[in-house]
Amino acid sequence: MARRSLPFDFTRRGYRCNLDSDERHLVRRLIGEVSALLTSTVADDPKMKRLFPPAYLDDAEREAESDYQQYMREELVASRLDSILRVDTFLADEFNAQITAEDLDAFTAALNGVRLVLGTLLDVHDDADDDDHDDDRASLHSDVHDDEMNLYNYLSWLLESAVAARMKGWDSKDR
Amino acid sequence: MTLVAAGPTIVERPEVDEETQDSTYIDRPWVVLVWNDPINLMSYVTFVLQKLFGYSLEKATQLMLDVHEKGKAVVSSGNREKAEMDVYRLHEHGLWATMQKDGPKESA
Repeated sequence: MARRSLPFDFTRRGYRCNLDSDERHLVRRLIGEVSALLTSTVADDPKMKRLFPPAYLDDAEREAESDYQQYMREELVASRLDSILRVDTFLADEFNAQITAEDLDAFTAALNGVRLVLGTLLDVHDDADDDDHDDDRASLHSDVHDDEMNLYNYLSWLLESAVAARMKGWDSKDR
Repeated sequence: MTLVAAGPTIVERPEVDEETQDSTYIDRPWVVLVWNDPINLMSYVTFVLQKLFGYSLEKATQLMLDVHEKGKAVVSSGNREKAEMDVYRLHEHGLWATMQKDGPKESA
């Protein structure tokens, strides 16, 4: 697939988002799905646990863990919805390729949220484990799985680009 | 932010031993751990550690490599309040972070 430029870049004029309209539409749809998940009342399942991991593992801190989940979960939801709203806004129809550092930070956070959910659904695992599981997993693979894996890899590539642009911006001025 | 409000349920905790009464235990700082996970990108983890803690690229990269190769790394420490806020900010960015009291038994 030929590309005209990196998805994100930093130039003397600031941060730039080069996503085309199809890509912007795709990202907006995906973050919308995460937004719906965050505001849903679904019981805890692996993807929800990945979005809201425990803070304390020690049994002696069970009460602190319960408090953390009770109070900080609301904060986490609010923070994630803020990021999603900001991204949805700057990717909207009146799109301007020049974006702010805050826009890019929101993009990295929101996109990583999509990857956490999709990666958990796909049961993504470390490369080092591949040899042990390839045979078992091969039979589970389907075209749908391959399509979702391609999507996951595409989102990883977008995130890599966003992070690289942000770090390039850091090098040229204050964070 | 302190989260010490009484919980609604009292769960039996048979082994709350004298150690919790020991001032050296109480004074022990909390450490914040980031755990390896298969989803977060190495570059993203480095980026988040720099952004949240102001670490140099070298330090953030070394911590990220520790997470990747050893399974976990201590990324910050302090009192409970600070550690909990650090864990929250790491969770906000999708990293798998936990906190625990520093000590030989529990050190990373």
